[in-house]
Amino acid sequence: MAGSDHKTIEVKGLLGWINARLPVVQAFEKHMSKYYAPKNFNLWYLFGVLSIVVLVNQLLTGIWLTMHFNNSSEGAFASVEYIMRDVPYGWILRYMHSTGASAFFIVVYLHMFRGLMYGSYQKPRELIWIFGMTIYLVLMAEGFMGYVLPWGQMSYWGANVIVSLFGAIPVVGQDLMQWIQGDFLISGATLNRFFALHVVALPLVLVGLVILHILALHEVGSNNPDGIEIKNNKDANGIPLDGIPFHPYYTVHDLVGIVVFLFVFCFVIFFMPEMGGYFLEHANFEEANNLKTPEHIAPVWYFTPFYSMLRAVTYPFLGLDAKMWGMVVMGLAIAILFVVPWLDRSPVKSMRYKGWYSRITLLFFVVAFIILGVLGTKLATGPRTALAQICTVYYFVFFLAMPWYTRKEVTKTPPQRVTGRFITMPQLLLSLFLIAGLITLPLYVVGAETEIELSHFEVNLEDKASLQSGAATFINNCMGCHSAGSSRYQRVASDLDIPEDLMKDYLVLDADTNIGDLMVSAMPIEASKSWFGAAPPDLSLVARVRTPEWLYGYLKGFYLDASRPFGVNNRVFENVAMPNVLGNLQGDQIPCTTEGCSETIHVEGTGSLTAEEFDKQVYDLVNFLTYLGEPALMHRKTIGAYVLFFLAFLFVFAFMLNREYWKDVH
Amino acid sequence: MSDGTVNKSRRRFLIGSTSLVGAAGGVGAAIPFVGSWSPSAKALAAGAPITIDISRLDPGELMGPMPAWRGQPVFVMLRNEETLASLRENTNHLADPSSEKAEQQPQYAQNEFRSRKPEIMIMVGLCTHLGCSPKLFAEVEPQDFDPNWKGGFFCPCHGSMFDLAGRVFLGVPAPDNLRVPPHYYVNDDVVVIGIDAENS
Repeated sequence: MAGSDHKTIEVKGLLGWINARLPVVQAFEKHMSKYYAPKNFNLWYLFGVLSIVVLVNQLLTGIWLTMHFNNSSEGAFASVEYIMRDVPYGWILRYMHSTGASAFFIVVYLHMFRGLMYGSYQKPRELIWIFGMTIYLVLMAEGFMGYVLPWGQMSYWGANVIVSLFGAIPVVGQDLMQWIQGDFLISGATLNRFFALHVVALPLVLVGLVILHILALHEVGSNNPDGIEIKNNKDANGIPLDGIPFHPYYTVHDLVGIVVFLFVFCFVIFFMPEMGGYFLEHANFEEANNLKTPEHIAPVWYFTPFYSMLRAVTYPFLGLDAKMWGMVVMGLAIAILFVVPWLDRSPVKSMRYKGWYSRITLLFFVVAFIILGVLGTKLATGPRTALAQICTVYYFVFFLAMPWYTRKEVTKTPPQRVTGRFITMPQLLLSLFLIAGLITLPLYVVGAETEIELSHFEVNLEDKASLQSGAATFINNCMGCHSAGSSRYQRVASDLDIPEDLMKDYLVLDADTNIGDLMVSAMPIEASKSWFGAAPPDLSLVARVRTPEWLYGYLKGFYLDASRPFGVNNRVFENVAMPNVLGNLQGDQIPCTTEGCSETIHVEGTGSLTAEEFDKQVYDLVNFLTYLGEPALMHRKTIGAYVLFFLAFLFVFAFMLNREYWKDVH
Repeated sequence: MSDGTVNKSRRRFLIGSTSLVGAAGGVGAAIPFVGSWSPSAKALAAGAPITIDISRLDPGELMGPMPAWRGQPVFVMLRNEETLASLRENTNHLADPSSEKAEQQPQYAQNEFRSRKPEIMIMVGLCTHLGCSPKLFAEVEPQDFDPNWKGGFFCPCHGSMFDLAGRVFLGVPAPDNLRVPPHYYVNDDVVVIGIDAENS
């Protein structure tokens, strides 16, 4: 590099004019076209650039979401549904952002694992690692505060749990907690400050840290899978023999990786944005209620390993309670990552040349971390807590014993020059298989949950007749008490192919209501509370909170029970306040008494519909409620198919371009 | 790095085609960002056509409280025979006396009174210059801004003048006549603004 630094760069035209005033050409050369990266980067080296891709995605979609978001506790939840339904393309922006949050942590975790595996934190890259860990810390704060903003039940109770941690600090804890909340509970004041931090303060810090991370990296140069310094072998011009200009070689190379990543990313956005409740939790489709904790609360998946550690501490110690120690353990688990460069005393960097102690401890570290993550999504039971305790202890042993085992083990001497692929395909598969086995076995031993069996429900949004019938049933039978306050009549009419004048004449029940209005029930909420004992919930999102299977079982699950106020109970939702509105159609059901019977028995001669007719009517209603939960579902997958098709097309070009550049590089 | 047999034209082609396809993807990715700025379903619902009752209009005064369509003030006024007669004569000072600019009014209002019914004036009350709302000066009397004032609208922002058919004067900043919104009469007393029965 020394030679090229002093060469005068001659550029003409506009670029020359700018360059005489701002060194853009030099900057491009320093960081791109004359930044020599080791040419033996493998797949693991993609996750750095991918995290930048995700960062850009988060910044852009985040800015766009703030344009429509209402950051008050009264309006936040409704404004998210406004984005999902009323704002053109709003649902894409929101799913890009919510999926991006999880994608960010996936790529960052893989990027961090890469660092652990190849010793990228070792001298002279300690500062890069520290900047990286700070990024991770800020990212956790960013993710946490962002999750509070939709103001759903998980937002609220998640925030409550995390903020309560500060209450565990002796002496000042309770006052500190109130100061953070700005209230006696998580409230609008908390939401406002989290919003400001999430959209302005933390992104600024994050971008700044990313720049520092990259500048520090480009100062000392990249590590590589062999963990040797390419700067030790230079040619006559001072260019590392094992280096290759980042641009164009790694730009075209990363492009292929980015396209593949975008393919997976878009697949999630368009085909499974909730990711089975891990990216968007079901309970978060219900608005925050400070008087009712959801039955099962778990943080989003990227926090669950640390959440498990928090819960694993159940003993008081040194006169301080377990709550305090749980917080300390969680804090230390993150803090200890910062000092890894000084814990590793190995003479070599890469796992390729380290000994078996390092390899095996790292393997078990991955296993323990993932087990902790899985346990964090589940309710804590005795055996699970025990497993979490074992994994927590191991987590710390891995780091604290590092100075010892990295010195004791037998290492190999790394080669002078970089090498190609190290691990063979069978070895790789065996390792993955081993990790999978080591993760699933203990989890299997501590037990899986059992739930009421619900029959499978096949949603069919193509069946407009079914949806129309469901809409009619909903408006005529449900909207007397329930609202669908996120949805507009006009949208339902157009999505379900109901002519607007028919909708207006037969289905908009209130004469003062316009077809463009929200579907709000006329029943006063306060009065309904005294009539039913609980206010009838808004049903816009009920299918996303409860799942269609649950709704289908629930609507068919009423049976006679004289002890209840309305004379009926429900096998899916015990002691529900709602009367059996469809009872006249279904007829009476009685619980069966025979052993092993899970259904109810029909009382002959009651109900105006046959069992099949009633099933169809309930099917249509649930089908409609599923549509109502997410109107975007009508077109989401079709658009997704086009997007994926395009990305596959782009992949071909990116792949060929990459091969053209790399075919002669050895 | 390379054995010297770089196929430059192949590289150029691949760079060009990849950039082209990538740029198309960029345009596609911009769709949600650009599209989300269009009025939302909420805005469209709030901007839906309005129905007003014109049975109790006072001649020579703007209907109050001022109706709003899409959040814009709508001037509704009952004009007497005298006013209509004065609109008919004396059009030399007007920029577009016979409403030739088609986009400023629906076809049925493309006449000297710029209305469906000669006596009823319905107009979006925003100056075609920069969107201020002009003030009504209904009396025929000399004004500071025009000694020969025959009644009409004067915009306080930049001094544009319009007559009682919303026709813009020559020599003022506003380029066009006031806009006539689409509308239709349900009956003699009720008018719907924002949609015309012909085009609904």
